[in-house]
Amino acid sequence: MTAAALLPSILASLPEITVVAGACILLIVGQLVPKGQEAIIVWASVAVVLFAALATFTLSGGPPAYAGMFVADPFSVFFKSLFYLAVVLTFLLSRNYADIEGIGGSEYYVLLLLALSGMMIMASAIDLLSIYVGLELMVLCTYVLTGFLRREQRSNEAALKYVILGAVSTGIFLYGVSLVYGLTGTTQLDRMAAAVTGDPLDPGLLLAVVFIVAGLVFKIGAVPFHMWVPDVYEGAPTTITAFMSVGPKAASFAVILRVFLNPLVAGSNVWIILAVIAVVTMALGSFVALVQDNFKRLLAYSSIAHAGFAIFGIVAGGADGIASVMLYLLIYTFMNLGIFGAVIMMRNGNFSGEVIEEYAGFAKMHPGLALLMLLYLFSLAGIPPTAGFFAKFYVLVALVERGFVLLAVIAVLLSAVAAYFYIRIVMVMFMREPAREFEPALTPLVGAALAVTAAGTVGIGLFPAWFLRLAQQSAFGG
Amino acid sequence: MAFPLLSLIVLVPAAGAAVVMFLRSDDLVRWAALTVTLLDLALAIVMLAGFDTGTSGMQFVERRPWVPALGITFALGVDGISALFVFLTALLGWISVLASWIAIDRKVKQFTISLLAMQALMLGVFSALDLFLFYVCWEAMLIPMYLIIGVWGGDGRVYAAFKFFLYTLAGSLLFLVGIIVLYFEGGRTFDILALMALDLPFEVQSWLFFAFLVAFAVKVPMVPFHTWLPDAHVQAPTAGSIILAGVLLKMGAYGFLRFSLPMLPEASVYYSTLMMALSALAIVYGGLLALAQDDLKKLVAYSSISHMGFVTLGIFALNPLGLQGSILQMFNHGVTTGALFLFVGLIYERTHTRSIADYGGLMKVAPVYTGFLALFVLSSMALPGTNAFVGELLVLSGGFAANLALGAIAVLGALLGAAYLLGMYRRVALGPANVGARFKVRDVNGREMAAILPLAVFVLWVGLYPKPFLAIIDSSAMHLLQQLHDKGSGP
Repeated sequence: MTAAALLPSILASLPEITVVAGACILLIVGQLVPKGQEAIIVWASVAVVLFAALATFTLSGGPPAYAGMFVADPFSVFFKSLFYLAVVLTFLLSRNYADIEGIGGSEYYVLLLLALSGMMIMASAIDLLSIYVGLELMVLCTYVLTGFLRREQRSNEAALKYVILGAVSTGIFLYGVSLVYGLTGTTQLDRMAAAVTGDPLDPGLLLAVVFIVAGLVFKIGAVPFHMWVPDVYEGAPTTITAFMSVGPKAASFAVILRVFLNPLVAGSNVWIILAVIAVVTMALGSFVALVQDNFKRLLAYSSIAHAGFAIFGIVAGGADGIASVMLYLLIYTFMNLGIFGAVIMMRNGNFSGEVIEEYAGFAKMHPGLALLMLLYLFSLAGIPPTAGFFAKFYVLVALVERGFVLLAVIAVLLSAVAAYFYIRIVMVMFMREPAREFEPALTPLVGAALAVTAAGTVGIGLFPAWFLRLAQQSAFGG
Repeated sequence: MAFPLLSLIVLVPAAGAAVVMFLRSDDLVRWAALTVTLLDLALAIVMLAGFDTGTSGMQFVERRPWVPALGITFALGVDGISALFVFLTALLGWISVLASWIAIDRKVKQFTISLLAMQALMLGVFSALDLFLFYVCWEAMLIPMYLIIGVWGGDGRVYAAFKFFLYTLAGSLLFLVGIIVLYFEGGRTFDILALMALDLPFEVQSWLFFAFLVAFAVKVPMVPFHTWLPDAHVQAPTAGSIILAGVLLKMGAYGFLRFSLPMLPEASVYYSTLMMALSALAIVYGGLLALAQDDLKKLVAYSSISHMGFVTLGIFALNPLGLQGSILQMFNHGVTTGALFLFVGLIYERTHTRSIADYGGLMKVAPVYTGFLALFVLSSMALPGTNAFVGELLVLSGGFAANLALGAIAVLGALLGAAYLLGMYRRVALGPANVGARFKVRDVNGREMAAILPLAVFVLWVGLYPKPFLAIIDSSAMHLLQQLHDKGSGP
């Protein structure tokens, strides 16, 4: 590749380059920052993300770069914007929490930035190999971040579990990729379909697809590869849990959308597998969450259930199906970071904020914050007029459009089950008497993060038109 | 576009809730709520005054784009079927504020916000001309109502609130899928008027009919979907009960009138006997249960099931008398049962017991209270001269015309009503004054009178001169039947 041919590629990937370079610089400069001045690193990290965002919005479009492995299309811009949002909110939420837990060194922010770059590569990747590179970059960072509470057994256990299971799933994914290469002679998503001339239900191909599915489904925590989710979510620092529940998950969905809506996969009746996965995932997440007492564990199962609902959008397929998944993920980012923000805020003094019963009478002590949590919880439950309702509604529209009415019925009935555990938390907050006094750590940064998520949760709920159009225009294919 | 009267009616309580959020003193909150609801009532009266009874079409129509990509509009409008309910909601909103003046003494601000949000959403349900908007309002009501029952209710409030929430949610979710199916059948529109013009295949109609039925039957509630109601009613604070009985229960029946009948005419005709049978069952079963109650609130709650049975019976009689009667009866039930819950609340504030056995001889200590109670009890058992007589007579005439046997069973229910209501009145108001000996009971004061009087006026007005009310209903009900029989002449 000549230098002249390389330039467009570099321009297309400038956002990723910005983030990686920024992370490397921060890694060095971070060591020089005196103790107690960590705020500088936070703001520097935010600045890096903002530069990347600027580059993303100005340099998008153009043909595939790096010999057809990478593209900066509207689809990737949508997901990158979502990642920027998730990462910046995580930075805001982390500042105080990291201090309390004693993990506020520069590595923490650098790892988040590197994970971000991995996610961005995943969103732009159009080749199974570049997908793999992005995926590995992202998960390696999250492995480390999960175990960041070095002195806590829970955190160590979670990280170890995550690494082992994650490595296995990545291996499965790679095996699927090698099978695809053997059968079609290419790893590029576009060329794969063209290379297959025979029956799309060829058993070898089906096997390859199943392996790739398994590898990717692991990352979004869908059944039967969900076992790591509750332990990792519970053990990881809450800020990292919050981040993982939206960012890496959305990145994995971006890849799944790219792979699954590829004509090769779309033609192979793989949607039946996906439909089964979606139903089982939602059922398991909803029913198991019913009996959880730990807030983080409950949110872990809730995130499994939400992943199940989003998979229904992939099952639906088509332009509306893709757009519905994208909108779902965007809305989920707002509401889930909101509820996690509230949980993170509770971590103060000797108060962990992880046991649901600890929230008893919260509404009496802090009516404003309780109202915010009420908003997020009802949004997660999918009750209008919050954004969570519109997210589910649009997925259902996509499902019914394709004639999957029965799946839509199953989806809504399971979401009624899920509603129970969300409103149970509301009950504890509003209908119990306070057991003990506590003061949430509501710093201005956390307040700002909560304000943004609340605005998103209410705003998209009441005025979904603009966001819907954004998702529809960013959805590729048709 | 004309003056946006309906938007104003819907949005005034919502804006009021937003304002209340910033008030500090409880008294200020109460007065603000009273002002807002009074203003809303005034607007609703303006709407009724300008209502043209000569047409069956939608009036005061407003349309604004909301989510154009999916064909969702913010469309409001009323016809003869919904106009009375908009008015009823505004009226009861004002009365609920008065009823909770001293009954709610903690977290007054949050309560008032919930109450006003509730009112805005209920008004939205009755005036929505867009199915999506309708569903959003219908479902969003769960949030404030869950809090009203669960935070300010009685001892078993948490259980009751959960039950209410989950029952209604599970019921409405199938309705949601039904709406989306209808959306595609109708060529990607949520416009209620456009969907009414559809002519769907019978099989689709049947499925949709049952999807809708679950949602509406839970709200009405029809036996066997009624078990949430006694719990919710007994545990809810007075204002909550008034709203539940007065307005929420009407929404199910309103759903039948607005969606099932005009959009699914063949299925409605086909399943009308089943629906009438379920209604007759509710009338008798609710009556029998009411007969066995010792708790005043439970008694009124079960009587509601019985009375709503009359409403659904009239709707599925599918003839002019039944239809007019049931719409009028829905209004009547809102007024009368709202009043009965108000009365139970008033006496409970004084004695803190709802057990009928604790009362007796109330007439000697609170003559004005018992006097008005007599009026509403008589109205509830449909004595001639009161509002419910007109409604029940029409419903029963329609019911007899449609199905003799089921009509006869319904009459039995009316007899039961007399038995439990008079029995309750005798044990509470008459007899030796054992209540005066045990509790210090004062008679009603001016604030309470202000809540009672308007309801009493409507009891007698509709009872003695129902013509203006029937005039509002008439042309829209006739139009609905016309639609139904044009398209629904059997599968």
